[in-house]
Amino acid sequence: MATVFSPYAWLVPAFPFVAFAVLTAFGRSLSRTGAWLATAGTFLSLVLSLVIAIERMTGAAEDYRGGYEWLRIGDFSLPFGFEVTNLAALMLVVVTLVAFLVNLYSLGYMKGDDRISVFFAYVSLFTFSMLGLVLADNLLLLYIFWELVGVCSFLLVGFWYQKPEAKAAAKKAFIVTRIGDIGLLIAILLLFWYMPDHALDFVSLHNVFDPQNGGTISLGITTLIALLIFLGAAGKSGQFPLHVWLPDAMEGPTPISALIHAATMVAAGVFLVVRTFDVFEASQAAMDTVAIIGAFTAIFAATIGLAQNDIKRVLAYSTVSQLGYMMLALGVGSVPGAMFHLFTHAFFKALLFLGAGSVIHAVHTQDIREMGGLGRRMKITAWTFGIGALSLSGIPPLAGFWSKDAILAAALADRPWLFVVGAIAAFFTALYMSRLFFLVFFGKPRGEHGAQAKESPGVMTFPLLVLAALAVVAGFANTPWNGWLGQWLTGNAEADHASALAIVVSVAVGLLGFYIGWLVYVKGAVRRDVLSSRLPGVVRLLERKYYIDELYAWLFVRPLRALGDALTAFDTHVVDGAVRLVGAAANGIGKLNTRLQNGQLQTYGLAGLLALVVLVVAIAGRRFW
Amino acid sequence: MSMLASYLTLAAVLFCIGFYGVLTKRNAIIVLLSIELMLNAVNLNLVAFSKYGVNPALTGQIFSLFTMTVAAAEAAVGIAVLIVLYRSKATVNADEFDELRR
Amino acid sequence: MLKDIPVLSLIALIPLAGAVLLLFLPGRRSTWPRGVALAFTAIPLILSAWLFAGYEPILGGKAFAEHFTWLSIPLNAEAWGPDAAVASYRLVFDYRLGIDGISLPLVLLTGVVSLMAAIASVHIRKRWKTYYALFLLLQTGMYGVFLARDLTLFFIFFELTLIPMFFLIGIWGYFGREKAANRFLLYNGLGSAFMLFAFLILIATLGFSAEAATAGGNAFSFTGDYEVLLAHLSDPNAPANIAQPGNAMYLSDSLKWTAFVLLLIAFGIKLPIFPFHTWMLKVHTEAPPSVVMIHSGILLKMGVYGLIRFGAFLLPEQLDAWAPVLATLGVINILYGAVLACAQKEFKLVLAYSSISHMGIVLLGIASLNEIGLQGAIYQAVSHGLISALLFLVVGTLYERTGTTKLDELGGLARSVPFTAGILLTAGLASLGLPGLSGFVGEFLAFLGLFGSMKALTAVGALGVLLAAVYVLRSVLGITFGPMPERFIGMKDARFVEALPMVALAAVILVLGVYPSLLTDLMQHGFDGLLKQLSTKAGG
Repeated sequence: MATVFSPYAWLVPAFPFVAFAVLTAFGRSLSRTGAWLATAGTFLSLVLSLVIAIERMTGAAEDYRGGYEWLRIGDFSLPFGFEVTNLAALMLVVVTLVAFLVNLYSLGYMKGDDRISVFFAYVSLFTFSMLGLVLADNLLLLYIFWELVGVCSFLLVGFWYQKPEAKAAAKKAFIVTRIGDIGLLIAILLLFWYMPDHALDFVSLHNVFDPQNGGTISLGITTLIALLIFLGAAGKSGQFPLHVWLPDAMEGPTPISALIHAATMVAAGVFLVVRTFDVFEASQAAMDTVAIIGAFTAIFAATIGLAQNDIKRVLAYSTVSQLGYMMLALGVGSVPGAMFHLFTHAFFKALLFLGAGSVIHAVHTQDIREMGGLGRRMKITAWTFGIGALSLSGIPPLAGFWSKDAILAAALADRPWLFVVGAIAAFFTALYMSRLFFLVFFGKPRGEHGAQAKESPGVMTFPLLVLAALAVVAGFANTPWNGWLGQWLTGNAEADHASALAIVVSVAVGLLGFYIGWLVYVKGAVRRDVLSSRLPGVVRLLERKYYIDELYAWLFVRPLRALGDALTAFDTHVVDGAVRLVGAAANGIGKLNTRLQNGQLQTYGLAGLLALVVLVVAIAGRRFW
Repeated sequence: MSMLASYLTLAAVLFCIGFYGVLTKRNAIIVLLSIELMLNAVNLNLVAFSKYGVNPALTGQIFSLFTMTVAAAEAAVGIAVLIVLYRSKATVNADEFDELRR
Repeated sequence: MLKDIPVLSLIALIPLAGAVLLLFLPGRRSTWPRGVALAFTAIPLILSAWLFAGYEPILGGKAFAEHFTWLSIPLNAEAWGPDAAVASYRLVFDYRLGIDGISLPLVLLTGVVSLMAAIASVHIRKRWKTYYALFLLLQTGMYGVFLARDLTLFFIFFELTLIPMFFLIGIWGYFGREKAANRFLLYNGLGSAFMLFAFLILIATLGFSAEAATAGGNAFSFTGDYEVLLAHLSDPNAPANIAQPGNAMYLSDSLKWTAFVLLLIAFGIKLPIFPFHTWMLKVHTEAPPSVVMIHSGILLKMGVYGLIRFGAFLLPEQLDAWAPVLATLGVINILYGAVLACAQKEFKLVLAYSSISHMGIVLLGIASLNEIGLQGAIYQAVSHGLISALLFLVVGTLYERTGTTKLDELGGLARSVPFTAGILLTAGLASLGLPGLSGFVGEFLAFLGLFGSMKALTAVGALGVLLAAVYVLRSVLGITFGPMPERFIGMKDARFVEALPMVALAAVILVLGVYPSLLTDLMQHGFDGLLKQLSTKAGG
């Protein structure tokens, strides 16, 4: 059956782009109308994405490709096109859905900001770029959109540009991800020169790196390419050691944190690895790296999340940790696991961020120590946030449980010690989520605004309800008994990793974590400062995020600054000094000559005489040479 | 041959005395006189060669007469310039005449 | 119709006519000079756009070519050499203009940037008549450089740019203007001397040809005609290629190397290549912004053009042998410029060093010696021209309002002048190579081209992309973001005459970034000759 709607997939990113163009051109005069316009554009994209996805689910599974020639040089040509696969269709739905809900939410959240049209213009541009990234049919086009989403993220993180922290965070976000981007860029250069016919499209990649046609590109180069691509993915997805920008990016408006820094853009790194998975599969070393970095990031970020006091930062470290899970899944070879977790994570993490935004909106602080007791005043927010927290902690039957279980099962089947790491990280996840949830919504109000907190308006709670519903049901797309999603995505029935051990362990650690949290923060059975008084060093280490920022400042920022200053001195004194020296030498010789030209004929005569003597001596002396 | 050598030696001594005077004397009139000495040294050479040279001929003596004429003219012009300079600067000190520098 | 009029001559000489016309107009107020200058700047742009529309890449430099003998100076007639027949020698100066895929993008760039700089000259506050006359004269020089197809003619136009530039910097610049102007003239004059020497070597060897024998004996001529030189280069029977004792016209390897190194220095000063860059720092900081737009936007590109046109096309073996050296110089330029740009406290210096860094990318493209890289070099040159013009336009606009370009005195301008700040951010993003804007395409192509032959070096050079992000964001965010000092409250955003060129330049940058085929299609056959020669040299 031929596809009917897929050829129109390019329209999905087109709607937000039109919204962006209109808002940029007439933004100031539109203000709230513009915001509605952007939301409407995203809604149209959502409808079309759903239509495409439903069409593909009900049978028409052949991939569609279309495009035009972007650049032609001699015999090489770089075409631009879009490709609709099941993977792309899934991502389209996730992106447009979250984007639409976030747009809706922002109508309430950003109300009263006089740059609301700019905000919506940026969000529309981001939605456009993210959808373009999803649809891109070759690596170069993907890179272009990759950079564009990066710049949108940068713009939105720095949206409140007058805050010095926002400025610093925006700068950091851009520069740190750029490190990864350079890896990706070099990987593209490598692929261009090593691929037959300089092809960069994903279909050719798939064919060339297929194990059946093995050996077209040597293993060393393959590993190098895979690692460079992973560097790019690590930058975008906040994997260790490039994770430092993501928590700082929380300086942006909260809806942005939900859309860009939780659900979509940061998942682009995972998406990239999935898209180029054939390259990774061709190199065991690359797979190991991905798995180990992913597992390490998962547990590393989860421990930091335990000790943070900013509600958004806790969620940010949680995002880093969950992205680590996805990478772990990829590293142990489970594409469905990674995509499934990406899918569910998009919903419950967006939910958590939007819930956090609702809380911040009400109490005007982000410090969880100043919140508390909000459960009674903000019922919808509390309930939906609770669902999100449970889902993230992996409590059955919520979505997060199924997807995390899929990953843990895959890890257990592949490398059991990674399963152990994953399970420990899952325990920490449950622990910090329960801490967050109980501190914010239970107990007595501690801040000045807490007592007067009001529930957010309907335009903000509606997205919460939708996302909460999804966070409940999304997991049933792919249960251990029914691997429908994985089958749909990869086209073949995945070897079933379902194992009772994984299920039991993941349920147990989730419940245990939540229970401990409840004991400490609600029941008060264990004193809160029991850890900080016994092991102040550890707590401090976690609070300061293992001193990674300080380490980088020492390792990179200061040396660069010192090098810059040293080179400036070199440039002004040595290089320019040499230039000035040449000038000064010419001047000096001139000065010397003017001294000889003193107007005294007698001096001239003397000079003449001396010259004559020298000449005579030279000529006469040559005889005796 | 020895005659020629002694004439030439005398001429060289005269020339050196003249040149020394030209280079060192502050008084412009002495400088002019020293120039005359140098010219006379040359004259002496010319005459000596015309008598004792490899091809003795009158040309040398004619040249020396010619030189004397020019020297006389030069002295006249030189003195005239000096007088003009003295009128404007009230000195005949050669160090003061550094207009070439400007 | 386009074929019938000498369109290239018109492009080059119309600004000159404008300058002459200006001399007869009143100059008390700025109205007249400005109007005339705008008109005479716009016409060449329209003509070059016309050229763009009618250009067919397959014809190469043949289309629109104009050629006649300008001067023919008889040299001595004598019996020389073993055959001892009477031979008469002539020195021929040709007037030859031509256009191909390499020069056309740069001609278009000249047109666009000149017009924008002319519009942006509203900030000039004195002696308008002289200013605009010199401005027009400068344009004739620039167009001439890109159009000339004769070494002598090229040299004349090249020198013609120096003189107006000297006065433009020296009269209308900031505080250290005289010094900057002097340094500019001396440094570039030195470069010209090297170039002239190299040209003389080429004219005396490659340019030597025998004409049809006449009754009076054999006739020989020396010429700087570029087409003749190119033809002789690949002709084994040309005197320059016959190694024979007594053949004074033989272009030996050592002569070739001499010429190549001289050219490299000459154009390296213009480009500028480290360590010949210090003169342009002064020009960037001291010249008025509209002049820096021209300087950074076009004049630096004359170095790129010269290096490709004469260095690469006439001495391909030398360039080939020195490709690693060039690439290394390019990487040094990129990193050195970028690191220094990170450390500057004055925005104009940041931009100056960033120019050095970007010109390094051009060098990488040239050093690749394949079609991708060479096109990338030209693309990068055009794109950097547009971007730096835009950046300096913004600098001028901001300086008019704030009276400073020091980074630590500026801040938070996004609030008081949101439009200008937005344009500055756009230009900054283009400068750091954001895809979708023109900077990315040139950078990417240059890296892609060089990566085929020198992988490690390219990878090191790619670090410059990261540093670019550091210095651009540091300075641009420093100016526009953060809390705003109180004295900037109530500042007016860009006026229409200021906003117009900003929007136009930004639009061109965007179009070239989204649809690069617009330019690359022009360059399609531009490098065929060079590449063929390289491959035959490699094969034989």
